[in-house]
Amino acid sequence: MGRVSAFADPEIIKLATEKFIPVTVDDWYQRRRQDAEGRFFIKVANQGPRKGQGGSTRQGIYCLTADGELLAYKNAGNSSEATREQLLLALAKFEKLPTNRRLPGAVAIEPFGKPDANYQRTPPENGLILRVHGRILDKKAGEICNASCDFPGGGKASRDFLWLTAKEWKALIPKPELGFSYSLPVSVTKRIARFCLIDNTRGEPEFWKGTDVRKADFGLKVTSITPEKIEVSLVGNALLADEADLIASKRGYECSLIGRLTFDIAKGKFTNIDAVALGEYWGATTYTQKGVRPGKNLYGVAFSLPPMDRPGDRVSPQAAREWNEYLRPN
Amino acid sequence: MNRRFWLTGIMIPALVALFSVLTPNGASGQANELAFVKGEFNLHKLLKVIRPQADEDSFDTIPWQISLWNARILAAKEGKPILLWEMDGHPLGCG
Repeated sequence: MGRVSAFADPEIIKLATEKFIPVTVDDWYQRRRQDAEGRFFIKVANQGPRKGQGGSTRQGIYCLTADGELLAYKNAGNSSEATREQLLLALAKFEKLPTNRRLPGAVAIEPFGKPDANYQRTPPENGLILRVHGRILDKKAGEICNASCDFPGGGKASRDFLWLTAKEWKALIPKPELGFSYSLPVSVTKRIARFCLIDNTRGEPEFWKGTDVRKADFGLKVTSITPEKIEVSLVGNALLADEADLIASKRGYECSLIGRLTFDIAKGKFTNIDAVALGEYWGATTYTQKGVRPGKNLYGVAFSLPPMDRPGDRVSPQAAREWNEYLRPN
Repeated sequence: MNRRFWLTGIMIPALVALFSVLTPNGASGQANELAFVKGEFNLHKLLKVIRPQADEDSFDTIPWQISLWNARILAAKEGKPILLWEMDGHPLGCG
């Protein structure tokens, strides 16, 4: 929930950008990985209070040197004051280090070695990455608009990604034939339904199980062709619910999806993908109960093709922790 | 049994007309369930509402690295300390 963290504070943004090398990771992977990066992190974290007893979380804000000395630590992600204090403390300590540990080029970094494939995620080779945002919505004077939420940051847009393999996105390439209709690959349909059509605005939800997908039906149709590009529309419907009997279900999302894809013929790739799911959402899971709106409410999910010009565009989808299931959802 | 409240209050004829334009033959058999109506449920309007507003994700203006090892290499090269934000659920991609 970075959007309500101390890192939204302008002074902290400036400090992080100018005085540090800022890095952010998912502790779920980091504390588990058995490779050079994992061992380095554990060595640093063990200098602080978070020892990770029993494999527990080591989350927090760490300031450290390139050679592995912890300068400051605090699990203070929501407090600008505490975070600023830690950053300034770390900078003061850093300045006192001998020059052979802090000047540019002074520290040699050993070779990485083999990464732990179980806990390192990289986008599929030649795959396609979509950015996914969810938001709780309302309707006022006939217009869809943002809704408010009692949970801090719950009214803001959530963030996630959708990864497609090369085989999957190539299956979306349209035939140059006006009106040509085709469906999304089953794996993509299930991945969208189970892992993207979900309310993640108040923290980490439990993803839909395969059996929760009561309906997911997304189709494509060629709507225009020029010598340069082919335009494709995307439409469909989905129903996710934890019970077949919707009256008895505690959580569900019934939505429609509409979108537009542009395929550049010369480049052989999609240059634009915009899609939106809109529907009624109800309920929450164990860690997302706080601030949940009672009853059924409008919820939307937006998909888009990001520019892919920053490391942060390659963050793995939240559901990719279970990698095999992510690639081959049942 | 109409939980699709937006369908009840929205122009069904327009919906059906739009469906006939957009829905792939055979790809979806749910014509009467399509909830989007051109104009009122405009794709670009919805994208604008749902995506982060300009000032909503200011934390994302920080040039975050996503690999601690790469951060080590950069920190050594530039002579800076590392700021590691470690959370359960990636801050740039989890909710």
